Amino acid sequence: MKPDLWNNRDVLAGLLFIVLGGLAAILARDYPFGTTMRMGPGYFPTALGVILLLFGVYVLARGVRSGDRVKGEWGWKPLALITVSIVLFGFLLDRAGLIPATIATLFVAAAAGREFRWKEVVLLAVVMTAFSVAVFSWGLKLPYPLLGGYY
Amino acid sequence: MQASSMTRLLALSLLLGAGNCALAQAPYPVKPVRFIVGFPPGGTNDITARILVPKLSEYLGQQVVVENRGGANTAIASEMFVRMAPDGYTIMMNAPGHATNPALLKLNFDSINDFAFVTLLAESQNLLVVHPSLPVHSVKALIALSKQRPGEINYGSSGIGATPHLSGELFKYMTGVNWVHIPYKGGGPGVIALVAGEVSLYFGNVPTVIRQARDGKLRALATTGPKRTPAAPDIPTVAESGVPGYEVTTFYGMSAPARTPRAIIDRLHGDTVRALNSPEVRDRLQGLGADPVGNTPEQYTAFMKNEIAKWDKVIKAAGIKGE
Amino acid sequence: MDLLSNLALGFGVAFSLQNLAYCFAGVALGTLIGVLPGVGPLVTIAMLFPITFHLPAVPAIIMLAGIFYGAQYGGSTTSILVNLPGETASAVTCIDGYQMARRGRAGPALATAALASFFAGCVGTLLIALAGPTLGEWALKFGAAEYTSLMLMALVASAVMTQGDAVKGLAMVVLGLLVGVVGVDVNSGMARYSFGIPELVDGIGFTVVAVGLFAVAEIVANLESREPREVYTGPVTGLMPTARDIRDAAWPTVRGTAVGACFGVLPGTGPALSSFATYMLEKKLARDPSRFGRGAIEGVAAPEAANNAAAQTAFIPMLTLGIPASATMAVMLAALTLQGIATGPQVMLEKPDLFWGLIASMWIGNCLLVVLNLPLVGIWVKLLTVPYRWLFPSIILFCCIGNYSVSNNPFDVYLCAVIGVLGYVLVKLECEPAPLLLGYVLGPLLEENLRRALLIARGDPTVFFTRPLSLVFMIATVLILVVMIAPAARGMRRGT
Repeated sequence: MKPDLWNNRDVLAGLLFIVLGGLAAILARDYPFGTTMRMGPGYFPTALGVILLLFGVYVLARGVRSGDRVKGEWGWKPLALITVSIVLFGFLLDRAGLIPATIATLFVAAAAGREFRWKEVVLLAVVMTAFSVAVFSWGLKLPYPLLGGYY
Repeated sequence: MQASSMTRLLALSLLLGAGNCALAQAPYPVKPVRFIVGFPPGGTNDITARILVPKLSEYLGQQVVVENRGGANTAIASEMFVRMAPDGYTIMMNAPGHATNPALLKLNFDSINDFAFVTLLAESQNLLVVHPSLPVHSVKALIALSKQRPGEINYGSSGIGATPHLSGELFKYMTGVNWVHIPYKGGGPGVIALVAGEVSLYFGNVPTVIRQARDGKLRALATTGPKRTPAAPDIPTVAESGVPGYEVTTFYGMSAPARTPRAIIDRLHGDTVRALNSPEVRDRLQGLGADPVGNTPEQYTAFMKNEIAKWDKVIKAAGIKGE
Repeated sequence: MDLLSNLALGFGVAFSLQNLAYCFAGVALGTLIGVLPGVGPLVTIAMLFPITFHLPAVPAIIMLAGIFYGAQYGGSTTSILVNLPGETASAVTCIDGYQMARRGRAGPALATAALASFFAGCVGTLLIALAGPTLGEWALKFGAAEYTSLMLMALVASAVMTQGDAVKGLAMVVLGLLVGVVGVDVNSGMARYSFGIPELVDGIGFTVVAVGLFAVAEIVANLESREPREVYTGPVTGLMPTARDIRDAAWPTVRGTAVGACFGVLPGTGPALSSFATYMLEKKLARDPSRFGRGAIEGVAAPEAANNAAAQTAFIPMLTLGIPASATMAVMLAALTLQGIATGPQVMLEKPDLFWGLIASMWIGNCLLVVLNLPLVGIWVKLLTVPYRWLFPSIILFCCIGNYSVSNNPFDVYLCAVIGVLGYVLVKLECEPAPLLLGYVLGPLLEENLRRALLIARGDPTVFFTRPLSLVFMIATVLILVVMIAPAARGMRRGT
């Protein structure tokens, strides 16, 4: 029983290794290669890129012959929301301060969950914000603005 | 017992805070001053800043808060710093990286014109030490031996572009000797390699190698500063042992963003120099192997221009590339 | 037995009610901050370090020692509870520790980690007193060639690390090596894969990689299915290790301690290398290796012991050469300088009471850690009963704060989000993060030393075989390869 190629985890892993290894080797062409006895900064990354690519080819070929399905479904929605919540934190901390960054991150991250209960999330945001401010700003005196920009 | 001492600490800090408010009558400063250090906590730059801060806060009448933003040998901190308001509430610690980065990296700021230099806080120098198996006891003998054996002698460093490396490259540049540079990741591994004899010589910061030299595990030849170090007045400088004009120092300086009003620069300068002259700051800096300086903003600006030009020449001549 | 009397001197300095109180406060603070996910030991120590500025010298070092232990143990705690390693060494603890927690055995895992660490710490302290100088000489025998051979051996052995697919495991090691390449090349000073971004010039930080690969990937994987799934399934069965657990963990702890004590002397590489090495060793020695990765208690005890023994013997270069070998040691020295009592690292040689006071306080810190944390185990385990929908946003938040605070730069937070996406994709494709982390840590060391060895030998590759210690590692590497390939080859012959 062969799963279709786009749901075959070995095929996908092989492709990923090929792409990453290939990219690494191509980018490493900008760095002086040197010789085996006198390696330049490009030698090691080029070699690694090629090795990763070869591993990728092997894994891909094995996957085409016999591979397993990716277990479960892809969680694109939680992945996107969690990623956004992390990016938001970095973006808001410098521009709006620790409190808005904390609240935004908690809300967006919580939205990635299976169920989003408004009351609970509000409560969680209040508690965690108070905790962060108390521990990091007051307790440890980390120099983050609580409200307002950095510049 | 623990609780009571914590309470005392808390009470003390509240008291100090109150005192500061009472003093804050002058137009500047009316709020805490941020002191940006381009390295993580615990390094010599960070320590230098933290040694200075208690006294400086006392004289300014406002808390000066050290803020660490490490990376790319101060370049990351500088990039953020030059965008700060030039109101005297943000100051920065400059390190040798400030003078070498223009030649090594593509920077998004101007290392001279985007800064208002306040004062050179302190300078420390490197000590040229050799492994005892190298049969030389003076700089002159070292140069002679190096000329006999071109390309055979290895010198170690704490990394490309760090002062131990630059000290070596400047030496090569000025004397025409041919050594092979072996970089290590940090001063610890570099000094260990020298003690183990993997490399033959090393320009190490005085406090990190002086003890091994005194114990006979290493042999000290000369110091790299403009004059002998108080920590070891018996060791000559490289300049006086046959390489006139040779000078490398690790420096710590203070600057504000460009266009900071002159009155604020003067206030910062006056209080910083006062802090540098206080015995506790002086003693602790000397404990670090650094001699307090405290020159004028003009002298410090000229110093920085000179350093940038000097390293640009040496880095180009040595063919060192950052990016 | 001059050294034993020194140790006595140290305890004389450190043992006072006041100092013990400071040490306890340090352990408590270190644990409480270090247990926040994403706030690793180095960040914790850096955050708490300013607190000690106001104290006199001896209480300051003692409190720092407490913070050090608390922070390290806090890192192990997050490894076990939420699959987030605080530092490289505890990435190994994640593998089996987290599985134990998911099966309701978080209590025994946490207790075992604390007890194994304590045992290793005691042995390590004794070793410093008895054999410090000897071990210090041993460290000097390691040049670039020896490091290269050692790293090669470790990387080859890493194939044993993987639970499932050895080929994918090796590919992950290579991918890790590539992640480690990012940043300035030590040998040429050139910035690689930095895309002109100054933040990348210093390479990708450990916290970024660990949070992205472990925490973010794990959380998304837990959220992907629509029907509610409990993350922590097993019923909580007892907080303390059972007699059987103790029997299972005893020898691995001893072996882990031995491995850790030997590697710990090597500056920079010690703790990480030793915990990976000891895990591989245990898996090879185990009667049933398949238990590893499914919550084997040996997989928690051995690396935790190795890590802590290495942390102790890492003080040896300091004692014999006056060189701070680890970042932690450098921070401790910085604290002493700020106190106005140190004149550089040599203070440890010039003022034995200080050095031995420090060693003694490290032991006391370790001891108080057990005293504080065994009762806390119950609380940590309770934490897992908090609904996951409250837990995971909080973990994400702390990871963000932890990442940001490493260098107060939002870039690290953005990078972590990117690594998180990669981490999740890798988890879905059944590629394990631990080998990647090993490659990421050892890669730069391998390349740096390989190129340095050839540079010093002026391009002569025989250097790896003419130096005795290097030759030993090379032979061991070949043996490991043979042991790994032989069964596979035999299997193939039988199969065809």
